[in-house]
Amino acid sequence: MKNPYEVLGVKQGASEEEIKKAYRDQVKKYHPDQYQDNPLSKLAEEKLKEINEAYEYVSGKGQTTKASNGWSGRSAAAGSQGSQGSQGGDESFKQVRMLINNGNIADAEALLESIPNKNAEWFYLRGLLFMKKGWYNEAVMNMKQAVNMDPSNYEYRDALNKMNANSNVYRGNANNRGYGAGPNFCDMCTCLWCSDSMCECCGGDLIGCC
Amino acid sequence: MFGYIMPEKPELKIKEYDIYRAYYCGVCKSIGKRHGQIERMTLTYDAAFLAMLLCSTLNIETKLVKESCIVHPIKKSFVTYNEIIDYSSDINIILAYNNIKDKWEDDKSKVALVAMAVLKKSYKKLMVEHSEKCAIINKRLGDLSLLEKAKCDSIDAAAEPFAKLMEEVLDYNKLDDKTRQVLRWLGYNLGKWIYLIDAFDDLEDDIKSASYNPLLTHFKYNGSGDGISEFKNQIRGQIEFILLYCLGEAAKAFELLATNENKGILENILYIGMLSKTDKILCKRSCGKGEKSV
Repeated sequence: MKNPYEVLGVKQGASEEEIKKAYRDQVKKYHPDQYQDNPLSKLAEEKLKEINEAYEYVSGKGQTTKASNGWSGRSAAAGSQGSQGSQGGDESFKQVRMLINNGNIADAEALLESIPNKNAEWFYLRGLLFMKKGWYNEAVMNMKQAVNMDPSNYEYRDALNKMNANSNVYRGNANNRGYGAGPNFCDMCTCLWCSDSMCECCGGDLIGCC
Repeated sequence: MFGYIMPEKPELKIKEYDIYRAYYCGVCKSIGKRHGQIERMTLTYDAAFLAMLLCSTLNIETKLVKESCIVHPIKKSFVTYNEIIDYSSDINIILAYNNIKDKWEDDKSKVALVAMAVLKKSYKKLMVEHSEKCAIINKRLGDLSLLEKAKCDSIDAAAEPFAKLMEEVLDYNKLDDKTRQVLRWLGYNLGKWIYLIDAFDDLEDDIKSASYNPLLTHFKYNGSGDGISEFKNQIRGQIEFILLYCLGEAAKAFELLATNENKGILENILYIGMLSKTDKILCKRSCGKGEKSV
């Protein structure tokens, strides 16, 4: 087993609060929702397991087993989500979903292309396949088509929304690291102008010429 | 590689900046030692990132030495050397040679021909040393030129060969299978990002010279010269979506690597440097300002 403190990214002897925070951050980072439709989802799951074990070891309390069960339970639910949504669909669509869930992308693609009935579900599954291949433009175009053809379907809309949210997650992550945090030129000018006005109100002056 | 993968300098610590420079100078000097002095001019920031990423993944400690350099003869600066730095310098030469060869085939410029002649000797040597990697890189570039000749109108299909090329470049074969799988996905998404951001960056030039550009064929550009900015405004949102998606997936892959050494610098590049580059090229922040080198 790896050093559990290293796994959680905290120093040995860190306080309970620090450990809890690190654990929560890590779980958020490797959560199955983040790695849905990603070819590395299995590895993310393993990593999450490692984090749960490390947290259990470090905190050494029973309450964590509850948390770990909770997360792994959710991960399993996320994995089976695809097959749940297939109710009422064609038999071959079910097969395509099964192939996708097993990670057999090439076969799923071949089977899907051979289906003549190109309905909303067909476009949705095609979008899903493109996603796994990393063809994001084609994926989003197919998802949009599926939503257009069947606007009431929650599964299709949800997939499209998740795709759109993904880029925002990345930008949010960058913002947390300080990207775009510095004042821009406009802010500085406004600040200077306000300070000058305030000084003048009190009888002084910050910028002599105005 | 085109030098799009850069850190965001104002967000680096001074210590981190020195280390980044040490990798950059290390790759440069390694090119000088292994291939020749003029070849050093092909150095890109991407090669420095490659070296740093692989060193961190392999958990190689950064050993700094202070050396002087012919480019800055008086000031001594930090440098670091190891086998990964050598690998990155080799990859840098392989890609630079192919890039110049592509230019020569496109516009038959004399500059490209001279540069090709200079790089030819080192390239031939590398074809023997890294025969497997070279074969795959050549195959991918062949696929790319076929797609370009056929005026491929799918963005994803056009970006695929370069994405697969970068996948190969990052896949360092001394690592374990799981790490290599993660690195391949990281490389795939970086490659796609590089290809597409370069395509957006080159829009004006490609319209002028009537060259192939996947964005022009995909979005069916038909306007004259003044339609360019209008065209860019129309496609900006969709391109931003794809580019950020690639970066998001690359970041997810990175989080699965057991990187420790220089993690801060790598995070700076992946989360801030590349996003800032995307925004600059898509013209969202500080439009029109000149780019500074690191």
